[in-house]
Order: sequence, then structure tokens, then C-alpha cells
Amino acid sequence: MSAETSAARMQRLLAMVPWIAAQDGPTVEEVCQRFGITREQLASDLEVVWLVGLPPYTPDALIDVVQEGERVWIHYADVFARPQRLTPDQAVALLSAGASVLALGGAEPDGALARGVRKLAEVLGVNADQVLDVDFGGSDPQVLDVLRQAVREHRRVHLDYWSYGRDTRTERDVDPYLIHAEGGALYLLAHCHRAGGERRFRVDRINRAELLANTFDPPAEHGPTVVFQADDDDPRVTLRLAPEARWVLEAYPVEDHRDLPDGRVEVTLAIGEEQWLARLLVNLGPAAEIVDAPDALVSAGRRAAQRVLARYR
Amino acid sequence: MSVAKLERLLNLTALLLDTPRPLSAEQIREQLAVYADDKAAFRRAFERDKDELRQMGIPIVVEPVPGTDPPVDGYRIPREEYALRDPGLETDELAALHLAASAVRVEGVSATAGLLKLGGLVGAPASGLDVHVAPLPADANLPRLFAAVSARRPVRFRYRDAERTVDPYRLEFQRGRWYLSGYDHGRDDERSFRLDRIQGDVEVTDLPRFDPPSTAVPGQARGAWELGAEPPVRARVHIDGPGARWAVQHLGPDAVVAEDDEAVVVELPVTNRSAFRSFVLSFLDHAQVLDPPELRAEIVEWLEALA
Repeated sequence: MSAETSAARMQRLLAMVPWIAAQDGPTVEEVCQRFGITREQLASDLEVVWLVGLPPYTPDALIDVVQEGERVWIHYADVFARPQRLTPDQAVALLSAGASVLALGGAEPDGALARGVRKLAEVLGVNADQVLDVDFGGSDPQVLDVLRQAVREHRRVHLDYWSYGRDTRTERDVDPYLIHAEGGALYLLAHCHRAGGERRFRVDRINRAELLANTFDPPAEHGPTVVFQADDDDPRVTLRLAPEARWVLEAYPVEDHRDLPDGRVEVTLAIGEEQWLARLLVNLGPAAEIVDAPDALVSAGRRAAQRVLARYR
Repeated sequence: MSVAKLERLLNLTALLLDTPRPLSAEQIREQLAVYADDKAAFRRAFERDKDELRQMGIPIVVEPVPGTDPPVDGYRIPREEYALRDPGLETDELAALHLAASAVRVEGVSATAGLLKLGGLVGAPASGLDVHVAPLPADANLPRLFAAVSARRPVRFRYRDAERTVDPYRLEFQRGRWYLSGYDHGRDDERSFRLDRIQGDVEVTDLPRFDPPSTAVPGQARGAWELGAEPPVRARVHIDGPGARWAVQHLGPDAVVAEDDEAVVVELPVTNRSAFRSFVLSFLDHAQVLDPPELRAEIVEWLEALA
């Protein structure tokens, strides 16, 4: 048995003994389910509990375990009347999970989860709303509700979508089969009838979603839930970035990078859409210099800057 | 772990929880009567056991044994530090927490041991959440910062090569990253910090506890253009085209000063001009700064250098 699992066994006992002691003879079945163990594990755990108590460790000073048929009692375990406090990482795990599900609209705002999170925060001495917050990128709750229903009922939806890469607004019908959250944003995975294939949509860029009557059979398998996948055919652009633009390395899937002696860094990016590159170059300004790009993209930044300038003249 | 060792650790925990006065190592050896007689062997075994219990989060405190001179180290587990106060969770509340913890995990951190302490695994998590959530990234400093937030203890850490002392108010997961918001002692102002940019370990100081802020800390819920220390100006921006609806959704109704089907005018408080410029330019030719004139001029100048 590894060191980790043995510590886990001890911690399980420190949680299980107070729980059983506080009940009036729960069934073996229920104890096993609650504590995630088999009947054999429970039997061997209880054999250890028998041996625990206080000096002088005479029978009257030991914890008493009584088993009658399917039911089990623990007496004289006052020293273990309460379970251990939560460790900070257990607290973080539970509160983040609760905050996430509430943020995703997966539970009623005043339902069991919200009440549970509030009670938990209370014993941790914090105000759950004020100390820990999880955000998945400001999706319209009405849009999200429509998408959830569509995924659940296998219904087609009509989308009004801001296609960010191309910077256009499009209308399309899709068969949605999965909503997933990654990197702090929500995505919809769907078969797109306009594109004739599987596409991924950022939920916060869906302006409007309308439930249609058509139903569909969800595919047995779907594409990977990774957010950006470069296509082999996508053009590659190499940029030289000043130190203040190094954040590009963390923010985008850079295929290759090389530090230069002058403190700059050279990066290669796969470019799905020209407007995406234009946005990046206009944003970086003098901090980026194109080293290598296909002819069509060499002046993407300049063209975009001229277009934006036209609005100010 | 052998049964003998498990039994020993449980009995040691019981003994130290039960004693109102700190017990010396020698008293512990006599009372438990399971350690070796050999002094050095006992000492090694006892140190190892103490370490293991501490790693399980069991708070063993060291205090002088009363009446000893020179003082002898004594050990006990204060019940009020060991025990979880009963949160009084109903079965449906515990089941909802179980379901949430099955649907959303923090990388490398298990919620299961926490659920066991709260009364066990109740309900069927298989019914799940209808949104698939990728595990939230872990950060080595996250649990320690949470402990400091809840204990209201100032923390110290290195950030951008400078040492910061901060009253930690709030942890936020935004845009796929963890942030800390709090009061920065050195800068005498509220600041936000990206956890993955904190250099090394956060130290929880023994400076006096701070009072939590009386109003909610906006933290990262603000736009990047608000996260700066430049003289504040209010900027009005006209946004049209495919991203106009998105802008309204993200900026919230309070920012909108005019709106029709095609376009929106928003007003934003700006204290970080380069972040403001990035935000406006992300709409490319679908956004235009209306005023103040100096922010308009800055954008024009920036674009002229590129065009």
C-alpha cells in the first residue's frame, strides 16, 4: 500500500467514525456507499477501530463497535466526536466547484447547492460570494438556456453569431450536442448546416439563439474539445516581438519560438483568418514586426490600420 | 500502512486530542506503550508519526509542559483547531456539493476527502452537469492564499521582481486564470495579481489580521482598462457591426448610454490607456472613440504609425 493511500485510509476513518457514532445504527450498505468502500474494507476498518481508545486501553476505555446483522453502531468514541476540519485545498476544491456550477446556471440560485455552499463558507469563516469567484466569460443567460434545452432535447437551433476570426455576423442552423467550458470561456460543439461539418462556437459571441422544431440524432463520437486546432493548410506567419509583447506566447498557441540576443522573441503562428492577424498586429503596434508571411498577409496590419483610421477622418 | 501503525497513529491522535495539558514525548511513550524502549529509536519513530499526522492536516501544537524548568516540549491537539464545526448540511445540500465536485475539478486537488468529512458521498453524481467543464488549473499557492483569505492574514510574495505585502480579499478565476485581489500595503491601494506570475511561495505573515472590505471587491470583474493607476477619464465609444451585441453583454447595461439595433455607445472609466486602446482596437473598424479628444488623438497617432 502506498503512503498516500494509507494516509487516505486514516483520514477516512477519522471522518467515518464520527459519522457512524452520530447515527443510530446505519446499514453496512449505506456506510459503504457514503465512504466509497467495499464491505471487506469496512470490515477491516472496523477491526482497527476496536483497538483505538485512551489510556489505560482496557476494554472500557476503547471505542466499542457493535454489528448486528446489517446494522452497525459505534459507541464511546467521544474523542472523535467531530471530523477533521477541511484543509485549504479541500475547501478550495469544494467552493470552486460550487461557484462554477452556480455560475454556469447548473443549479437554482436559492437551491440546495447555493444553500450548501453558503453553509460550508460559514463554517470556513468566509462569505462565499465575496472571497471566491469563478467566471466563464459573460454568456447571455437566455442564450445559454436555449442551448442547454437544445442539447438535452436534440433540437436544432438557429444562431446569430459573431464570427470573430472573420469579423462578420452570420446566421446559421446548427445541431448542438455539447457545451463545454475551457480556459474561462464556454463553447458549443455542433454540426453546422452552413459549413456542412462540425464547428465550435464561443457561446458569448452568440447574439441570439432560437430553438427550432427539427430534431437530430447526436453523433456517437465528436471532435476533441480543444479550442483551437491549427490546420496544416493554414498559412504560417513569423513575427518578431518586443519584450512587452511576450504575452502572445502565453495567450495563443504559438507553434515555434526562439529568443533573440536583443531580448526580442521570434514566434511562428498558424493563421486561420486574416482579420485575426490584423487585430493582433493593430493591437501590438510597434512591438511586432513581420519577419515572414505569405504575400496576402504581409500587409494585413497596415490595411486594417488604414480602415480603422478612415473612421476618424 | 500496517494495522499496527494505523492503530498507533489513531491512538496517538486520540491521546493528544483528549489531553487538556501538553504531554512530553516521554509521557506519550509511557501512556501509549507501543513505542520502542530504545530512546533514539523511539525519538525517530515519534518524529515520523508527528510529521505524518501534520501532513494529514492534524494540528499538533508544541507548548512547554507546565511546571518544567528548563521547559520541556509538550504536544497536544487543540480540539477547536482540529474539529470541523457542524455546517448542518441537509442531505440534498450534501448531494448537490457532491454533484458539483464531480462536475468541476481543480487540477490535482481532490474534493473527495473533504466530502467525507462533511458526511460522505451522497447522491448519484453520474447524472452530472450538462456543461462539460475542463478541470480548473491548479496553482501551488491557491490553497495557501485561500487559507490567508479566510484567516484574514496579510501575505507576502514576489511579483514582477518586487516584494509585495497584501491583504488578500478575493480569489477569482477569470479568462482561464486565477487572480488575487487585495489591498497592496506598499502601493496603498487595491491591486490584482495573476497567481501564475507570483514568484515562488506565498508567505502567510503574522502581521495583525485585517478587516475584510465592507463592500464587495470588484477585482477582475472590472475591465482591463480600469486596472491601472493613470488619472481617470471617462471615455465614450461607438461600437457597431457584428460585435455590438457582445459588447453590451460583456460591459453590462450600466455602461450603455445609447443603443439601437445596429450600434451602441458605451461609456467606460479608463485608468489604463493601453488596455483601453487594445479593447477598442479589438473591434477593428467597428469601433470609434468619440471622446475625450486626447484619447481619440492617441488612437489616431497609434494607427498612423502603422498605416
